[in-house]
Amino acid sequence: MASSKLISLSLLSLLFLLHLSTVSSWKKDEFRNCNQTPFCKRSRSRKPGHCNLVATDVTLENGDLTAKLLPQSPNQRIEESKDGEEEEAAPEPPKPLILKLSVYQNGILRLKIDEDPSLDPPKKRFEVPDVILSEFEEQKLWLQRVSTEGGSSIVYMDGDYEGVLRHDPFEVYVRRKGGDRVVSVNSNGLFDFEQLRKKREGEDWEERWRSHTDTRPYGPQSISFDVSFYGADFVYGIPEHASTSLALRPTRGPGVEDSEPYRLFNLDVFEFLHDSPFGIYGSIPFMLSHGKDHGTSGFFWLNAAEMQIDVLSSGWDANSGIAEPSGRGRIDTLWMSEAGIVDTFFFMGPGPKDVARRYATVTGTSAMPQLFSTAYHQCRWNYRDEEDVENVDTQFDEHDIPYDVLWLDIDHTDGKRYFTWDRALFPHPEEMQRKLAAKGRHMVTIVDPHIKRDESFPLHKEATAKGYYVKDASGRDYDGWCWPGSSSYPDMLNPEIRSWWGDKFSYENYVGSTPSLYIWNDMNEPSVFNGPEVTMPRDAIHYGDVEHRELHNAYGYYFHMSTSNGLLKRGDGKDRPFVLSRAFFAGTQRYGAVWTGDNSADWDHLRSSVPMILTLGLTGLSFSGADVGGFFGNPEPELLVRWYQLGAYYPFFRGHAHHDTKRREPWLFGEQNTARIRDAIHIRYALLPYFYTMFREANTSGIPVMRPLWMEFPADDATFNNDEAFMIGNSILVQGIYSEGVKSTTVYLPEGQSWYDLRNGAAYRGGVSHKLEVTQESIPAFQKAGTIVPRKDRFRRGSTQMVNDPYTLVIALNGSLAAEGELYIDDGKSYDFKKGAYIHRRFVFSDGKLISSNIAPTNSGKQPYSSNCVIERIILLGLPSGAKGALVEPANYRTDIEPGTLTLRGGSIPVARVIRKPNVRITDDWTIKIL
Amino acid sequence: MKTHNFYSFLFLISIAISASAFSIDLLGIAPEDEKYYKADVIKCKDGSKKFKREQLNDEFCDCPDGTDEPGTSACPEGKFYCRNAGHSPLILYSSRVNDGICDCCDGSDEYDGKAKCPNTCWEAGKVAREKLKKKIATYQEGVTLRKKEVEQAKQAFSKDEADLLKLKNEEKILKGLVQQLKEQKEQIEKAEEQERLKKEKEKKLREAEENASEQEKKPIEKHETEEHIDEVPHPKEENADAAVEAGSGDNSQSGTSPSNVIKQETAEGSDGTVVKDESKASVDHAAKQEGAEANAGTVIKDERGHDAGTGTEAFADHAAKQEQEKSDTIEGLSKEELGRLVASRWTGENAGQQTKELDNAKEEEDDGSSEIPEAAENDGYDGYSSATDEDDRKYDNDEMEEHNMDDEHDDRDNSYNSDVEDYSDSKTLHSQSWLDKLQQTVRNILQAVSLFKTPVDISEAARVRKEYDESSQKLSKMQSRISSLSEKLKHDFGMEKEFYSFYDHCFESKQNKYVYKVCPFKQASQVEGHSTTQLGRWEKFEESYRIMQFSSGDKCWNGPDRSLKVRLRCGLKNELADVDEPSRCEYVAVLSTPALCLEERLKELHHKLDLMNTKEPKSHDEL
Repeated sequence: MASSKLISLSLLSLLFLLHLSTVSSWKKDEFRNCNQTPFCKRSRSRKPGHCNLVATDVTLENGDLTAKLLPQSPNQRIEESKDGEEEEAAPEPPKPLILKLSVYQNGILRLKIDEDPSLDPPKKRFEVPDVILSEFEEQKLWLQRVSTEGGSSIVYMDGDYEGVLRHDPFEVYVRRKGGDRVVSVNSNGLFDFEQLRKKREGEDWEERWRSHTDTRPYGPQSISFDVSFYGADFVYGIPEHASTSLALRPTRGPGVEDSEPYRLFNLDVFEFLHDSPFGIYGSIPFMLSHGKDHGTSGFFWLNAAEMQIDVLSSGWDANSGIAEPSGRGRIDTLWMSEAGIVDTFFFMGPGPKDVARRYATVTGTSAMPQLFSTAYHQCRWNYRDEEDVENVDTQFDEHDIPYDVLWLDIDHTDGKRYFTWDRALFPHPEEMQRKLAAKGRHMVTIVDPHIKRDESFPLHKEATAKGYYVKDASGRDYDGWCWPGSSSYPDMLNPEIRSWWGDKFSYENYVGSTPSLYIWNDMNEPSVFNGPEVTMPRDAIHYGDVEHRELHNAYGYYFHMSTSNGLLKRGDGKDRPFVLSRAFFAGTQRYGAVWTGDNSADWDHLRSSVPMILTLGLTGLSFSGADVGGFFGNPEPELLVRWYQLGAYYPFFRGHAHHDTKRREPWLFGEQNTARIRDAIHIRYALLPYFYTMFREANTSGIPVMRPLWMEFPADDATFNNDEAFMIGNSILVQGIYSEGVKSTTVYLPEGQSWYDLRNGAAYRGGVSHKLEVTQESIPAFQKAGTIVPRKDRFRRGSTQMVNDPYTLVIALNGSLAAEGELYIDDGKSYDFKKGAYIHRRFVFSDGKLISSNIAPTNSGKQPYSSNCVIERIILLGLPSGAKGALVEPANYRTDIEPGTLTLRGGSIPVARVIRKPNVRITDDWTIKIL
Repeated sequence: MKTHNFYSFLFLISIAISASAFSIDLLGIAPEDEKYYKADVIKCKDGSKKFKREQLNDEFCDCPDGTDEPGTSACPEGKFYCRNAGHSPLILYSSRVNDGICDCCDGSDEYDGKAKCPNTCWEAGKVAREKLKKKIATYQEGVTLRKKEVEQAKQAFSKDEADLLKLKNEEKILKGLVQQLKEQKEQIEKAEEQERLKKEKEKKLREAEENASEQEKKPIEKHETEEHIDEVPHPKEENADAAVEAGSGDNSQSGTSPSNVIKQETAEGSDGTVVKDESKASVDHAAKQEGAEANAGTVIKDERGHDAGTGTEAFADHAAKQEQEKSDTIEGLSKEELGRLVASRWTGENAGQQTKELDNAKEEEDDGSSEIPEAAENDGYDGYSSATDEDDRKYDNDEMEEHNMDDEHDDRDNSYNSDVEDYSDSKTLHSQSWLDKLQQTVRNILQAVSLFKTPVDISEAARVRKEYDESSQKLSKMQSRISSLSEKLKHDFGMEKEFYSFYDHCFESKQNKYVYKVCPFKQASQVEGHSTTQLGRWEKFEESYRIMQFSSGDKCWNGPDRSLKVRLRCGLKNELADVDEPSRCEYVAVLSTPALCLEERLKELHHKLDLMNTKEPKSHDEL
């Protein structure tokens, strides 16, 4: 064995050990890079102008523009440079491809390219079902005519845009009516589509990766093409990658050293790096571009196979002479996918919010979350037994730290058999949940997709008997290895299996579950410890003969969907599901929240959490967060405190830790740090009404809760690559502190308005960078002048106890002494809001008057939601002193205005004018006049 | 209408009623504080501002410290006092007021009508009083025990101090004697040396004549040394041989059995040969585990087999290499081995010290065939209890064991302890006479051999040597006794030396297959069969003698050095219980001991009981 090596290496290994402890243990060589991935290597090696396809036979069919794509001359293909791959040298004459252009409302162009089904391809290529909203299809505009213009066919889109198909060489783009291009496909001629064909004698289609062999029974079937964004200063999106940069950095071309494309391939990566184009848990193939002059546009490719995307740096195509050289406000990208079809969407702005809204019309907006799930979650791998749970719960109360949800990781189960309990550790699960529920708290347990192959486990027996598992290439139930050991995976592509799985969440089936229990889906990439790249083999077979390679990136999505729908069913469709998932795909926002996976307790991971969450928000997934404290390793108290201070603003706010780490519940780091963490969590609770209002906005519009600065300030180019600050809604700007011992920091406050420090009310001018002193007590956060933020300042054990508490309004006046804001309230758990059971108010302050008015549609009041809540305090920032009283109308009584503090923290200094106890009801229309 | 009462507005919307001034005003205020709120204008306790009496409990926070809202939830930093007549008063965070959850047994924290909170103080109080009474009984007895203990400890302490003083004096004398003897001995040796040189000179002369015969002797000698290598060697020589064989200058080993080699080497950690032996041994060990480990991959087994009881550095070293090996050789692994290997990254379960977690039910379960429940592992698992958890738990564990330090596990303490024993015998019985005698003897010798003649009188020389050897042996024993005594006396034994007797005691607690052994002022360990894991070396008392802290124990794979906190509480016997590991490799335990039965605490308990008894609510007068 290793004994001989041990002798010679005994000293060396000591050094190695020291080395190990400082270097991340990401197992780079267990994952494929582009060069080791034949389709990626091939696509990348192609030169501009490679594509020789020409669009012919342009017609209108079913309201769409269709055309055939044929090679200009069949001989040209063979002359191409080869990289030694056999499949490149296919002498078989290519069949025509079918191209289809459709136009939808709100300026969305859809481009599909697939093989011609009438030409009898060996197999139907996979189109991802259940992602596009059915409502979206109804928004298709029936094309009446196509105009031609010098070798191009032009379709008119909604608004000021037109879609153009250039015939020779083929190219598709969107331009402003008769003017500049916005987004184009194949301007650089990099389009390539490997058609399915029969295997010829002597051909070897297998691919080997380490000890694994991919049989690839259908041979090469990859697709790649270039996409160009015009007038773009930066491109963003395509999660999930760990990065400290919000804007996507170029991956190829002049000035790029590390030449790996952004990979979209859902993987469970142990100790992922904080900054790498490498693919991790989820994939959303949606990219946005933004430029100061041309605004925002977006491009989405609905495709669930492995994808690799290059962002090309300016001048990458210097000598190609094909398209106009890049670099003049154009960003070129190269999209490559292993399988599937071309089904792409072009989104026009001009504003960032327009693009976000439009993308949401295709893949959906975020589900309205349970109110409790927007509060603080406490998790650890693992709270070990009922006593531990009770103790942690009690300690939160003893330290007056609010929390809403306590989580149980895999070890609560009987041998990692999900839906079961380790009865030695958790003999009374219902009682445990009831005790939490008595304090208004909830519990979340984990349910992963790997099912223990154990004949005595009914779930396994049933799944086996029904043939519900994903099959391996030979047709047997795929047998992989995960937490329980030998495991199989339900085939979530099949709607019948999803429904069966969903039924497992009923109270009868999930013994020990109660209505206050919700679910966490982990390992759903899927993670397979002994699979290639720690996941399922690409040649595994799903429902409908779909290869795993074709749907890999969506497996977790279907699992999440199934779980979420199961919870919905459990509650008779009345209780909003809460399901946290690690893997995700476009559309995941409709089913629940995600988190950024197994991060580490270091400052770099704290820093990268912001661009990661912002990117998720930009691509539709608003309800997301990173593990506060960092999953692996032990955070220093300072890091933990900073993480709570930042995490309090994550849309999803959960503390979590690996089982090898020290306990890190908020009260374990000395009184001072306990107080800081308590303070951070209290800020979140105070802002819950504001957050919930923003969640509602995300639910109706697709605009994320946590936003990059440029989404709010699209004309301020100083914000475009700001990775350290972000907005919550349109009113609050937060700047994280990302390194140790920071005494001061520079914060850029966007132009247009002034800003008020959230803690002490100090005013700062916008449009400039401010050097600010920083203490351990807080991170910088500001309210934009001209906004009104609703808060609930009473401290409680959790959000449940806050329901009847009175509100505080914080009005930050702008230069013209005006401000406005909104408040959305509903019951926080049911779907009654869909029937109009909610309160939606607009507050406008101008001309010395604050007016509250209803903005809920008046005809929606079939099932009204009522609230007895009042406003106990109105804080006015920027109001000239002098006002002594206010008149409340229509009740017509006077109340006092006095100097007051912005928060109720001890030691605060009066910086604002405070309207004392106006006690107006939140449901009513009223006016408060400053006297 | 200027000020608006929040509650009247809420519930009786348009009818303005001023709520009963008395109940609202005094809500949440402790009786001793009522005076403070008498004035018409009241100061915030933090001095930040003043408020009018009508602003007291008016549901609007005026003082950031909560002075003006003791009875509402309006101030985040406010505190609510509930009287809980019949039970004990309670001070709540303002966040609990009218939050729909009954916190005070008298229900006074929920007065807005949303939650119904019946007064349960008398019933709850009764239980609490019973508990308290029991506790007081324990304390009463404990206080007596403690007094006795303290008395004894003080005596023992002064005795030890006196002994030390005496020993030091004796040492001084003995040192002098030994020095004299040494000089004597050296003079004798000098004389002898001169004699020898003289003789040698003579001998050389003779030797010159006997050259021929010498040449024949040489080969024989050589042959003899060769035999030494093959035969079971004379320890000293073997040592050198081993070093030669190892090709290194390390000749510090003396053991011959493989296990000894491992032990020494892991402690010293560098020599190539021994590492080799060690890995062999651990492979053997692993092989033994094979049966239990079912299908586990060999790489993993190797690591598991290696117990972390000793030589952690060498182990970590080993593990690191294994890890490297793994990523190199993944190709050769079976699917299952690969699965286990990747899983182990998250769990660290291939680590040596994880043996304990792996080798029972869980292991079998992993191969997917067995039905053995995991219960075995978790039996008697006590969770970790809050620090505020009172001392009322578990007095039922009767098997209390006290151990003297002469225990085979601790070499260092053990060695000096046994020394102490035999020395102290002679010392206590007739130390003075013994020393006197010695002094006499030395005097005699000095006189007898004060003048030297050559050749040296052989019997005189032998006598001097013997006396010197004996005396210096005695001196070194005495010195080791002095150092162990002063080592002991250096420790902090508590305010009244109440922990003095702990010094020579170890406390044990058996939980499942582990025996936890806590030796105050020394170390704590976890013993499983023949393997011992150090949980920590004695560090100090914490929280004014309520916690014993042991730290820097054996390192955890992928974790911290092990440590143990022993929480002390009043009990009638010294009794270790509830050992637990709330965070990985951070252990906690509870030790009941009379040393914690403090008189002041007993008084407090009495006082508490008095309060509970006197504050009986009127409705329960019949009791």
